Amino acid sequence: MTDRPSPTQSDNTPLKPADPARKPAARPVRPGLPLIWLVPILALIVTLGVGWNMIASRGTLISVAFKDATGITPGETALKFREITVGKVESVRFTDDLQQVLVNMRVDKDLAPFIDKEAQFWIVRPQVSAQGISRLDTVLTGAFIEGFWDDKPDDPQTRFQGLDKPPLTSFGEKGTWIVLSAERSRGMTEGAPVMFRGLPVGQMQNLRLSETDESVLADVFIAAPHDKRLTTNTVFWDTSGFSVSLGAQGLSLNVNSLASVLQGGAEFATLTSGGRPVEDGHVFTLQTDQATAQANKLAEDDSTALRVLMRVGESVKGLDKGANVQFMGLTVGHVSNLAARIITDDQGREHVEQEVTLVINPTRLGLSEDAPHEDALDFLARQVQAGLRARVASAGFFGTSLQVELVSLSEAAPAELDRSGEPYPIIPSVPGDISDFSETAQGFLARVGDLPIEEALKSATDMMNSITAIASSEDTRAIPAALRGTLEDAQAAAGEIRQVTTELRESGAVGQVRRMVDEAAAAAEAVKLAAADVPAMVDQIDAAAAKIEAVDFAAIGNEAEGILRDVRALLGTEDAEQLPKNLSETLQAASGLLNDLRDGNAAGSLNTALASASTAAQDVSDAAKRLPQLSARLEALAARADAVMAAYGERSSFNNETINLMREMRRAANAFGSLARTIERNPQAFILGR
Amino acid sequence: MSTHDGPILTAHRAGLVGCRSCGRVWPEGEAICQRCGAELLPPDRRCLNAVWAWLVAGFIFYIPANMFPMLKTSTLGGIKGSSESTILGGVVDLMHYGNYGVAAIVFIASIIVPIAKFVSISWLALVAGRPATVSAAHKRLHLYEVVEFIGRWSMIDVFVVAILSALVQLGFVASIHPGPAAVSFALSVAFTMLSAQSFDPRLIWRGLPLRSRKD
Repeated sequence: MTDRPSPTQSDNTPLKPADPARKPAARPVRPGLPLIWLVPILALIVTLGVGWNMIASRGTLISVAFKDATGITPGETALKFREITVGKVESVRFTDDLQQVLVNMRVDKDLAPFIDKEAQFWIVRPQVSAQGISRLDTVLTGAFIEGFWDDKPDDPQTRFQGLDKPPLTSFGEKGTWIVLSAERSRGMTEGAPVMFRGLPVGQMQNLRLSETDESVLADVFIAAPHDKRLTTNTVFWDTSGFSVSLGAQGLSLNVNSLASVLQGGAEFATLTSGGRPVEDGHVFTLQTDQATAQANKLAEDDSTALRVLMRVGESVKGLDKGANVQFMGLTVGHVSNLAARIITDDQGREHVEQEVTLVINPTRLGLSEDAPHEDALDFLARQVQAGLRARVASAGFFGTSLQVELVSLSEAAPAELDRSGEPYPIIPSVPGDISDFSETAQGFLARVGDLPIEEALKSATDMMNSITAIASSEDTRAIPAALRGTLEDAQAAAGEIRQVTTELRESGAVGQVRRMVDEAAAAAEAVKLAAADVPAMVDQIDAAAAKIEAVDFAAIGNEAEGILRDVRALLGTEDAEQLPKNLSETLQAASGLLNDLRDGNAAGSLNTALASASTAAQDVSDAAKRLPQLSARLEALAARADAVMAAYGERSSFNNETINLMREMRRAANAFGSLARTIERNPQAFILGR
Repeated sequence: MSTHDGPILTAHRAGLVGCRSCGRVWPEGEAICQRCGAELLPPDRRCLNAVWAWLVAGFIFYIPANMFPMLKTSTLGGIKGSSESTILGGVVDLMHYGNYGVAAIVFIASIIVPIAKFVSISWLALVAGRPATVSAAHKRLHLYEVVEFIGRWSMIDVFVVAILSALVQLGFVASIHPGPAAVSFALSVAFTMLSAQSFDPRLIWRGLPLRSRKD
């Protein structure tokens, strides 16, 4: 647009076109400096304003130290308060000692005053636990930092220590903090649920070893309103894993939720009323199982418990602390202590006795809760006068463990409750009724084995032989002397048989067998549940038992007597002369004799008697033959029972199965865990696959 | 043209004033171009005020344009990261990914050209009316023409942002939003263009030798 003058002009005479309408050259008023310079000033103001706005709205910088910064991206990761983004991670750096990561965050200005020293920060990541997957949303959104602080502005802080994991009580949840104490951490894991009637109402956290003793402690938060269920009478027990118990009801396998198998957990119940509400920090003991918890609850009522001593001269192997004290079949207390004590008797001889401390709950004896100890002691003293004695008795399935029984024995020697006993009154005791199952069975079998059955049979045979001899001898006809001899022989035999019978009767073999059989049957009934292959064995035992029962030992004696009586009567008859020969035939070929003698009344009796005797003998011999078998079977049963018992502790196949199952579960849990870790470390991987 | 080393006649020296709209020259004192009706303004150093003002405004906006993010891209709802890249950051990113060509284009269009414009316009404004040889005047004129021509191309960045923002709105999968720098950059470019247009090229010829009448 520059005008180029085309011709060169030597002078500067302006070229003038035809005179156009000229206007006075109004000096143009150009927008001078002031106006146009408004533009950059405005631009500056706007830019500065925007910049200032940005800086001003950046919020307060706080830095939180975390162990690691998994999933945190500077410029992206949000800080949330009650799920609302209130800030953003600006930068991440290490602490000076490189031990931690400092996450610097800009927090909204309005909230900054509330972030005081009680503020908590933690990183929210997806969590895969046995209880489920939580915060899956962070898989999509990426991890974020969550903060919590109260609504009271207080001396704001800029440096915080982040939590490793979300606190159990978020957002000022109401509830009660208690402490669980246990000998082992079994069933206690971080975040393990605490349940009430199977409903999770709390969680464990902060597992630690007690500083003062050997126990393991865990903080448990019971959320409101469930914390109202807690009283000082509440008991907690471990619900982790599964429990196998073998009892009178058979084998019971109790598996809780898979979560509790993998993660552990505890349950609580308030068994007795009257407890006081608990304060924060109340310490409860975590019991191993519900039964223990309930039993120990009695023990814990030490305030009302009555302590008495019993002295036992015999071995108390199998009697443990915590063993039950039973009174008329009711558990009224437990054994709290076992101690040996040297007792000097009247003659100055020393011997060692076991001193068993019994803790008895008077309420269980039917006394009122408020009854003073004196009343309970009076009651006990009266009972002792009436024959109440303490004794050690076998308990449990096979009598392998012992308990203390308070029994009323009318024939007991008179004794008194020794109230002067130290440290506790001494209750008189009687020797224990310890029936070791295997011992009993073996002893019984030994006795059965010792029965002179063969001798008896031999005697009978001898007698018969004698009779035959008498009969076949020429002297028979001249009876008297021989007959007398025979009779004497017979009487001797009878005496022997009677002796056998008495012995049998005295030994109460039948009753014992029956009892044992009952026991075995009960055992079998219980074991039947335990193992699949047991029923067959049980059947066999039943059959054997039936066979044994069929042996009527008393009847044998009776029959033998009957024989003798009949023989005597026979010898008195006129047909006696013919008898010996027939008898001899009878003994060689019973049937022929029986046929011959069938008509005769006495012969019939004899026939019956002999048949009976023969059957009885056969049965006895059968039984005897079967006894070793039975013994073997019983031994096998005992072995199996032992094995079942061992399954509790040792590496039995059941246990192996259990271990395998647990191993599988652990592997599954590990897989879960690694998945969880992966997701936690890199939530996006869940979606993006890398 | 550059051979002209001697005094040359300019419209000003000839007592004429050229119309900036249609090029017709009129004697000095005319206020309205009779041909196109545009206002006739004699070249005046005071117009440099506007040049400087627009230039400063453009430069002021150029600062946030480089400091604030130009594009806010978020992919997969921000999982793969929502990036807010400034112009220079974008260039670095592009280079990082090996797109040297694109990086060069962005760098030239968004960094070199605006800065060159600032420098050129300020230099032109500084030297306007100062003594110069004819060839120097021609160089300045060329520079001015280049600046004026190229000025609009700086908007390419803004257009890219605008187009991307309009096209890449795939919701969750990916979305691009213009950042505050886009506005700043557009304003900066616009102001520098205004600045260039405010510059009266006739001033270039003011400082030529053979100052016989004025200056």
